[in-house]
Amino acid sequence: MKKLVLAMSAVCAAAAVFTGCGNAADDGARKFVVGFDADFPPYGFKDGSEYKGFDLDLAREVCRRRGWKFVANPINWDAKDMELNSGSIDCIWNGFTMQGREDGYTWTEAYVDNSQVVLVKTGSSIGKLADLAGKTVGVQTDTPVQKALSAKGGREALGKTFKKLVVMPNYNNAMMDLDAGAVDAVALDVGVAKKKMADMPGKFVLLPEIVMTETYGIGFKKGNTALRDAVQATLKEMVKDGTMARIADEYKIERRALILK
Amino acid sequence: MLLELLSGLVVSAEIFVFTLALALPLGLVVAGGRMAGNPVVGTVFRLYISVVRGTPLMLQILFVYFAPYYLFGCSLARYPRLLATVLAFAMNYAAYFAEIYRGGILSIERGQWEAAKALGFSSARTFMRIILPQTVKRVIPAIGNEVITLVKDTSLAFTIAVTEMFTLAKQLSSANTTMTPLIAAGVFYYIFNYIVAWAMERIEKRLAYYD
Repeated sequence: MKKLVLAMSAVCAAAAVFTGCGNAADDGARKFVVGFDADFPPYGFKDGSEYKGFDLDLAREVCRRRGWKFVANPINWDAKDMELNSGSIDCIWNGFTMQGREDGYTWTEAYVDNSQVVLVKTGSSIGKLADLAGKTVGVQTDTPVQKALSAKGGREALGKTFKKLVVMPNYNNAMMDLDAGAVDAVALDVGVAKKKMADMPGKFVLLPEIVMTETYGIGFKKGNTALRDAVQATLKEMVKDGTMARIADEYKIERRALILK
Repeated sequence: MLLELLSGLVVSAEIFVFTLALALPLGLVVAGGRMAGNPVVGTVFRLYISVVRGTPLMLQILFVYFAPYYLFGCSLARYPRLLATVLAFAMNYAAYFAEIYRGGILSIERGQWEAAKALGFSSARTFMRIILPQTVKRVIPAIGNEVITLVKDTSLAFTIAVTEMFTLAKQLSSANTTMTPLIAAGVFYYIFNYIVAWAMERIEKRLAYYD
């Protein structure tokens, strides 16, 4: 253990040299590091050699207008709070649901209304939420719909009717499981659901009922209001001049889902 | 898409090469410490091996990267993620290598030490000239096991957002809703390890000069 502590101290000392410890002031153009989950189309995903998506394109445009250097940093979703609090990333901008996390971050105003829906395989006998009783339902780990359907969540009663709630590492796994018949349904964001339906036409059907409504915001480290205000102001400009709607069109996100005024 | 995966393979290969370059010699130091006559030194290294082998590598990677901030409040803005990854991997693999080396060193008959002493060799010279060369020959197969594991373990680097090959494959798979990148990544890992196994075999043959 002593050796470990010693090694750790050495690492920390090295880090201190790199960072000038506590002196995070950067030279030249300010870097704006956006943390996001690259398994999350259409908000952030890999396209050819670069990362793009609705949220990343918005962030890139904010940086362009502010003269910041844009850095898209795909992160391990489970480590997002450590990344943010330690200053490795400046914000989480990734179809990031505000509900249930209100107190954890310094938020911008909500900019997208994104309801939670259920996808089933084409030809499935499930036609409404009540039909999910006794079925296996997949959700992505650490998402609001997972919390809502679990114990003490807002839709706990609905969740209790399921045979099992399977927690998946990412949406792609969930869709593979649904396609392969390993789960009967997947509960997810409507934006992601529509993208998946467009990618694999005819494979999946959207249930008409909504599980819960939710909104997206951009999450900054708690207390970092200066950066939040700057980003929000630029974002509002982009709403006014139609840039946000244009980017939304590009990713097939419905204009009526855009709620930032 | 293949080109994208190859760029990820470069990152995986970097982790692999730097980790080996650090961990192979470091393992010898740890093995020496573990076998030291001094009880304090011996205990310290015994604990090191125990902790490193007894906790998940994923946790160690998180620790090495985030400790400067959470323990000392240092900003991580200029602490390269790849550096933290390699340090964590090297610390981890050194512990495993140390035990392999120790096994190899202990497998050399005591009589050789005694014979060398009778011939007037110092213990340092005995170790470097007589014991170590024989140890290296004996530990190659066990080292090969760990090296192959290391190739696959590189996928743990994404714990602190280092986008290596497997992560890229997952991202490409998500973006295009297809399994193909994952299968391609599997093939790449296999080829990588095939080359590693081939190289280990070559080294083993090359060292078999007295057999």
